[in-house]
Amino acid sequence: MIDKFFNPGSVAIIGASDKPGKVGRVILENFLKKFNGRIYPVNPNYDEIMGLKCYKSVSELPEAPDLAVVVIPAPGVPAVLEELGAKGTRAVIIISGGFRETNTPQGEMLEKQVKEIAGKYGIRVIGPNCIGIFDNWSGVDTFFLPEEKMKRPPKGHVGFISQSGAFASAIIDWMAYNNIGVSRAVSYGNKVDVDDVDLLRFFIEDEKTRIVLMYLEGLKTSRGKEFIKAARELVKVKPVVIYKAGKTSRGSMAAASHTAALAGDYSLYKSAIKQAGLIEAESFDEIMDIAKVFLTQPLMNGNRVYVVTDAGGVGVMLTDALATQGFEMPRTPPDLREELRSILPAHCIVENPIDLTGDTDDERYMKVLEKILPRSDVDAVVVVALPQVPGIKGSLADYLIEAKSKYGKPIIAVAIGGEEARKISMKLESGGIPVFESPERAAKALKALYTYSMIRRRCD
Amino acid sequence: MTPREIIKNALNEGRTKLLEHEAFQVIKYYGINSPDVVVVTSGEEARSLADKIGYPVALKIVSPDISHKSDVGGVKLNLKNPEEVARGVDEMLKTVRSKAPNARLVGVLMYRMAPQGLEVIIGGVRDGIFGPVVMFGLGGIFVEVLKDVSFRVSPIRKEDALEMLREIKSYKILEGFRGQPPVNKDAIAEMIVKTSRLLEENPEIESIDLNPVMAYPDSAMAVDARIILKRQ
Repeated sequence: MIDKFFNPGSVAIIGASDKPGKVGRVILENFLKKFNGRIYPVNPNYDEIMGLKCYKSVSELPEAPDLAVVVIPAPGVPAVLEELGAKGTRAVIIISGGFRETNTPQGEMLEKQVKEIAGKYGIRVIGPNCIGIFDNWSGVDTFFLPEEKMKRPPKGHVGFISQSGAFASAIIDWMAYNNIGVSRAVSYGNKVDVDDVDLLRFFIEDEKTRIVLMYLEGLKTSRGKEFIKAARELVKVKPVVIYKAGKTSRGSMAAASHTAALAGDYSLYKSAIKQAGLIEAESFDEIMDIAKVFLTQPLMNGNRVYVVTDAGGVGVMLTDALATQGFEMPRTPPDLREELRSILPAHCIVENPIDLTGDTDDERYMKVLEKILPRSDVDAVVVVALPQVPGIKGSLADYLIEAKSKYGKPIIAVAIGGEEARKISMKLESGGIPVFESPERAAKALKALYTYSMIRRRCD
Repeated sequence: MTPREIIKNALNEGRTKLLEHEAFQVIKYYGINSPDVVVVTSGEEARSLADKIGYPVALKIVSPDISHKSDVGGVKLNLKNPEEVARGVDEMLKTVRSKAPNARLVGVLMYRMAPQGLEVIIGGVRDGIFGPVVMFGLGGIFVEVLKDVSFRVSPIRKEDALEMLREIKSYKILEGFRGQPPVNKDAIAEMIVKTSRLLEENPEIESIDLNPVMAYPDSAMAVDARIILKRQ
């Protein structure tokens, strides 16, 4: 079990420092700011750091800390790990680099020692060569990038697993900027022990996490099947969005057989991702677009999408984009057509995509949506609200936010433009209606929701 | 012999590639539909078996030392009666002996040629991360030029296998094309499932190619099988 990493009662920081800018200082500050448990700095050169008693060594600590964070240079790490093992600590994050990633015999040897010592004592290790954990709920924060450089996002429900530390900090910073709440983020570096499989399993039971984002370069040898198994369990309860980096094929195996030659790395990962029920994002934008939809929208019952627009052109673009993603855009059925005809001016188009035209106002949208949303043959609605038309004043946004909970089906919006578009987007997004700047992005994000809805249906 | 014995025997002889008749025996054991093959060592023996095997007959030289059989005269197709078959075997043994004097010859593989169907490929390989994986694609340019194939990590259930079929871009060809009747997708899917099981149960196998598999409206048949073992 790896729960102790995320919810320790006490933590030791080995290599804590009072020198501004040092990793050992930033991490200590992080814990002082948000962590409620006991904090033990360890460093033979200090008696006290930032008002806390500093211990000369692990053996001097008054208790076996639940979690230890190691930031000393690599050659000293095995000895410290040995001490931690003897003391009784069973969760260790090794931030320090200088191991296998250096491709040197010394680095390899140090990593092997770490592995052996961890195995001997049953210590679970995250790292080495990583930025570790950012946990918004417990205050465990080993991301050694100071707050003024990397903003911390608000408490929330997005979990994040990243093979890359730099990518993890960039995305956390981005989520803070966009006010997206994060539960816990983990970057595991060389994954000498704790890996993707352990983390997927951890997130199954983690009540604070409602969706999981994942950046993966490659799995450990022979872990593929376990990965698929753990992912399958996780997607039964929450969606997982994965970005697989490193898509070029390895090619070197080519000669052995026909099949081996075609089994490029990425094609196997792609199949495994599909088999596991993960949602694959193909770009950074897509990861965040999909996350937005998953965080706010209920699942879809089917693939029938209606579009309501004030711009015919964008309606057509959306129709293309939705069809490309495999959605059905049903023709407006006769009964609905008649109803819409009776409430709309003659120049409006009642055929899906329903075009309210440039002289529409908020009320016209609401009247039409009230007819469409309750219908059982409508699975999702995309609202295009180009705010440049004079009649759009803002009550549409309030209506959409309310309608989403009232009718329990996905509503997303497309708003293109400058200042006004930004204003309406912010209002909608704060009320749980995701807004996209292009029809293509909206369609792709909705497709992810549909795909996951079908995966969940298959699980139930 | 069971697959286990065949594999063990090959490894004992220092071979990492199963001979053609051994590969056929292994896939047959897993219920993969393939031609009935015999290995003969003389024209006389071939003549006595020809009627039982049925026509047209194909002959292929069996040797652990020859990988490009046709380059040394080791392939003959479309033989239509006992005399042609007997002469074919004798000629083949003679030609191969003169063109590849150092090759060890096990004999000549003899089987009834399968009628032409839609050529598909089923392959399997053991991946360092995912373990056994199985590939499916259409034969010829579809695999070689367009790389239009799909993969699944084993174990593969039949529904996964059917999904593999639907996943390739040229799927429609399986459903019938230019007057061709649709092929039996169930039969192909079952062959994929069997290939997956074969890989699961024989960790010594590094890769397998069933290429081509002839797909027909009512069945499917692997007409060539290539099995590579892991270097010990």
